Amino acid sequence: MARTPLTEGDGFGPVEVRVTRTDLVRYAGASGDFNPIHHSDRAARELGLDTPIAHGMWTMGRALSEVSAWLESTGRTPDDLAGYFVRFTRPVPVPDTAEGTAITIAGRVVTVVDDLAVVQLEVSLDDQTVLGNAKVEVRA
Amino acid sequence: MPITPEHVGRRYPVTKPYLVSQAKIDEFRMAVGDRTTGPQAPGTFAMVIGALAWDGLFADAELGLGLHRTMHADQRFAWSRQLRAGDEINAVLVVDKVRNRGNVDMITVTVELSTTDGEQVCTATSTLIHTREEA
Repeated sequence: MARTPLTEGDGFGPVEVRVTRTDLVRYAGASGDFNPIHHSDRAARELGLDTPIAHGMWTMGRALSEVSAWLESTGRTPDDLAGYFVRFTRPVPVPDTAEGTAITIAGRVVTVVDDLAVVQLEVSLDDQTVLGNAKVEVRA
Repeated sequence: MPITPEHVGRRYPVTKPYLVSQAKIDEFRMAVGDRTTGPQAPGTFAMVIGALAWDGLFADAELGLGLHRTMHADQRFAWSRQLRAGDEINAVLVVDKVRNRGNVDMITVTVELSTTDGEQVCTATSTLIHTREEA
């Protein structure tokens, strides 16, 4: 598939993504991060939290999946990803409910310089940012 | 003895080579909602191997670090390409930066992932906020 050039303003979303406790258990198994704060009410309470929270790396990875799906629609592959940065600014609490927690993910190209496009991500929970200064660098 | 700026530059021995399998990639894909159709692992899969390199850091008795007292503050990846099934990966962790403030340590570590043939694949840089146990 031919690569569509990336220009400022291109992007995707916002899309809503739900995360349940089962998703966190699945991520724990897939990633090897079994910190109980991500699945145990008791461990969360011992750290002063009301409920377990999502792995920061789950949120970072889940957001990247939206970027990668969008990039595939522009004729790119994950090998066109050059870099990714996020600051974990706010936890994503995941109570043990059927509906879980909804986050929203959007991405927009903010600059294209020297064949490198910078995609700024907005990842939010209740309109508050959970990944700060989140940027993906893509080979344009 | 806590971790201090004197530990900057400390390198840990290369981890046991990690053989990337299609089954593990598929499992990780499902866990992060990846829908791409090619053979590449999702970009953050690199952290599955990176976390194995962290084990050496947390096992270093001289630093006195506790994983359960550690928060992940930020994360950066720089990729040459994505991992694929069949890649055999070495991971080397280096301590880049340490700042001590009261009983809190801010630690930046870099894990370099390369194939056992020497091809550099990914650099994963993490800032960790560690709270020391009260003496």
